[in-house]
Amino acid sequence: MSRLPTLGDQWVVIPLLVLLVCTAITIIRMRSLMAAVLLTGIYSFLSASWMLLLDAPDVAFTEAAVGAGLSTVLMLATLALTSRDAKPPVRRPWGPLFVVVVTGAALVYGTLDMPHYGDPDAPAQRYPSPSYVERTAAETEIRNVVTVVLASYRGYDTLGETTVIFTAGIGVLLLLRGRARRMGTREREKS
Amino acid sequence: MTRLTILRVVSKWMVPFILLFALYVQAHGDLGPGGGFQAGVIFAAGIILYSLVFGLEAGRRVFPPRVAESLAALGILLYAGTGWAGLLVGGWYLDFPALNPHHPSHGQHWGIFAVELGVGLAVASVMTSIFYAFAGRRGSQ
Amino acid sequence: METVIAVLSWFCLVTGSAFAIIGGIGLLRLPDFYTRMHGGGITDTLGAGLIMVGLSLQAGLSLITVKLLLILVFSLVASPTAGYALAKSARTHGLEPWKREDDR
Repeated sequence: MSRLPTLGDQWVVIPLLVLLVCTAITIIRMRSLMAAVLLTGIYSFLSASWMLLLDAPDVAFTEAAVGAGLSTVLMLATLALTSRDAKPPVRRPWGPLFVVVVTGAALVYGTLDMPHYGDPDAPAQRYPSPSYVERTAAETEIRNVVTVVLASYRGYDTLGETTVIFTAGIGVLLLLRGRARRMGTREREKS
Repeated sequence: MTRLTILRVVSKWMVPFILLFALYVQAHGDLGPGGGFQAGVIFAAGIILYSLVFGLEAGRRVFPPRVAESLAALGILLYAGTGWAGLLVGGWYLDFPALNPHHPSHGQHWGIFAVELGVGLAVASVMTSIFYAFAGRRGSQ
Repeated sequence: METVIAVLSWFCLVTGSAFAIIGGIGLLRLPDFYTRMHGGGITDTLGAGLIMVGLSLQAGLSLITVKLLLILVFSLVASPTAGYALAKSARTHGLEPWKREDDR
């Protein structure tokens, strides 16, 4: 059993994680898609609170803005174009359920070997993070280590991320605008 | 439309503060939580709120879709171009300390500022274009 | 003086949490959409407001208090407007309020 954080905030983290699990189960069992989308917004909000408890304000900020704000609006816009309720499943999913349970059990068995939460000797803590913190203090005058790592020490990755966002936008525009143009020509031919 | 009066008045007050907050988050990425991604998303949220309350045509007048697409590409170009600036002064690609050999920390600062600006521009414009692509379409075509 | 402020802030925090719980119970137990909005409204205004006041008392006179009060003002403006928009759109699309004659 991993060691829990000893500051007493396990009384807040554990109920939050239980709420996350309950929200996830409710999303799966929901038939009405609109309720599922709003519950996804609640899930993002709870994730943002949990990330804040783990001392990661940048990520919590991004998660709250994107997940609880923008993503819900875009999904509701999509729902306005498609149906409001999910279609009922056509057959009993015993095969996929078996595969999921086996994979989940294997993953849980794998996590038993992981280092304890907050262990200072864990490989993730020894390299390269302390060097980033020290190099930020020595080489730059910027106080936010996350921004320096994101934009300077790992700038290539952020360039790739931004290009992915741009590509997603191009993909959506190609799919939706091309269709509108074709629909427009079809209506002009009809009239 | 008088039945939207309360929403119009409240959004008229809130949208400038939202946009201002987006600029604040963009500029204060160095001192606190923030940076390009968050600022872009908050800016897009402000524009979307304006479009939702005052109508899609008003939103398109404020932030035209063509401008949004051009700004998205401009943001990526700004990011990649800052990398090229590192190459032009003799260092590596995306080498910020080489931008100012006497004060490498200033070079880092300017480089990070430029790339965060690029990221913010790209994210805000992409989110707004996606919203414009979805909104205003009739369902079940 | 310190103890007075501490006791006052804890009182505000506990009362704010109690109002949030009351609002949550109202969201679940009240019979109709319009009455459930009242539950949500209590959580947003009284619950969040008292918690913010309690936190500001603990932070004293500093930048944190100013930020907390700004968040409170923003939340007091935005949440009731959202509730109003929801109720208005429900009324426009014909959702009838619950009357005592309906058996629930």
